[in-house]
Amino acid sequence: MARIIGGIGTSHAPSLARAFDTDKRNEPEWKDLFAQFDAAKQWLKQVRPDVIIAFYNDHLNQFFFDAYPTFAIGVGDPHPIADEGWGKRDFPDLPGHPALAMHMARSLVGSGFDMTICQESQIDHGILSPLPFLTDERWTVPVIPVQINVIQHPLPTARRCYLLGQAIRDAVASFDQDLRVAVMGTGGLSHQLSGRRFGFVSPDWDQVFMDRLASDAEALSHISHEEIMFNGGVESVEVMMWLAMRGALAREVRVVRKYYAAPMLTGYGLLVLEED
Amino acid sequence: MASLSAPNSLPFGLEQSRAGYRLNQLARSMTQASNRQAFLADQEGYMRRLGLDEARIKLVLDQDWFGLQAAGANQYALVKLAGTLGVSLLQEGAKIRGESLQEFLRTRLLHQSQG
Repeated sequence: MARIIGGIGTSHAPSLARAFDTDKRNEPEWKDLFAQFDAAKQWLKQVRPDVIIAFYNDHLNQFFFDAYPTFAIGVGDPHPIADEGWGKRDFPDLPGHPALAMHMARSLVGSGFDMTICQESQIDHGILSPLPFLTDERWTVPVIPVQINVIQHPLPTARRCYLLGQAIRDAVASFDQDLRVAVMGTGGLSHQLSGRRFGFVSPDWDQVFMDRLASDAEALSHISHEEIMFNGGVESVEVMMWLAMRGALAREVRVVRKYYAAPMLTGYGLLVLEED
Repeated sequence: MASLSAPNSLPFGLEQSRAGYRLNQLARSMTQASNRQAFLADQEGYMRRLGLDEARIKLVLDQDWFGLQAAGANQYALVKLAGTLGVSLLQEGAKIRGESLQEFLRTRLLHQSQG
C-alpha cells in the first residue's frame, strides 16, 4: 500500500528560479532562503519519497484559454520542460509515475473529481521554480503534476481544492504498490500583478495563512476567493494549491519547518509538514 | 471592496478572456523562439497576421501594460510579451502603478523590513 509521508508548501515565484540559475546562495538577501530550502531538501532526503505529487498551476504553457481545465493530472512520463517565452531552463525532462497517476485518475473520477487527463504535461515555473531547490536537479524523484485553475475565474472553490487533496489521499492509500509519497503545493503567497494595486504584499496575512494551514485547515478551507484576494492580492488565489496539499495530509501534522520573507513582489513562504 | 475593483484590481474572468483572446494568443505565441524572432522583426505585421485590431495593436506598440490588462490580456500572458520586448516584471508593474522604476522599488524596502 502506498502512503503519504508529508507535504511541502512553497512559493513558485520566477525570481526563485532566477536566484537558483544564477546561484545567488551567497548573496546577503538570498542567503536565508537558500539555507531554508537546503534544510527542506535534507528533510525530503530523510523521508525518502518514491514519488512527489505536485499541486500547481500552469501559466499558459501547457494549457491555453481555447480549452482551460479546472483540474488536470499528468499521467505521462517524462514531462517536458516548457519554454515560457524566454527559452527552456537547462534541465532534463521531469520523470513521471504513470502507474500511480493512472490509478489516481481512475480513483478521482470515480469519486466525483472529473479530471482532465494529460498524456503530455509541459512543466513550467509552477513546479520548476521550487523543485531544483528541493530535490537533486537531475531529478531523482518522479513527479505527478496536478494542475488547478487559479488564473481564469470561475475558479474552483478553496473547499473543493481541499477536498481534491483528500480524494488524492484516498487514491494513494488504495494503490497496491508499497510507495512513499510526498505532496507539494506551490504558489503565492500574497501578491498582485494586475491593476494599480500591483505589488500588493501582506506579510501579516501570509503568516496567519501558514499557521492556520498547519493547525486549522478544515475551517480555513471554507475561505472565499474574495477573502483571499482582499487579504493577499488578486493573484494570491494560488494559495488554494497549498490547501489541496494540506487536504492530502492527515488531520494532525507536525510543523517541521516554517520560513517567510517578502523582499519584493511576492511573499515567499516555505512550510514543511510531516505525518506521524 | 474598492481594492478588488478596477482600476485597482482586474480579476481575470470569462468576459476578459473573451475580449482578450487575440491578445492572449499573441502573447502565448511567444513561447516559441521562431515566433519571438518574427515578432521582434516586425511587430505590427506579426500582430496583423494574428488578426488583432488597430486599438489593441496600438496598446502593444505603446507598451501600455495597464491598458492591455484592461483590454483582457491575462497577466501570465503579458509577461511573455513583455519579456520578449526586454521589459521586466518590475518595470511593467511600475508603469501599471504610474510610477518610475525607482519610485516603485522604494515601496519595496518597506516590505523587506517587515518580512
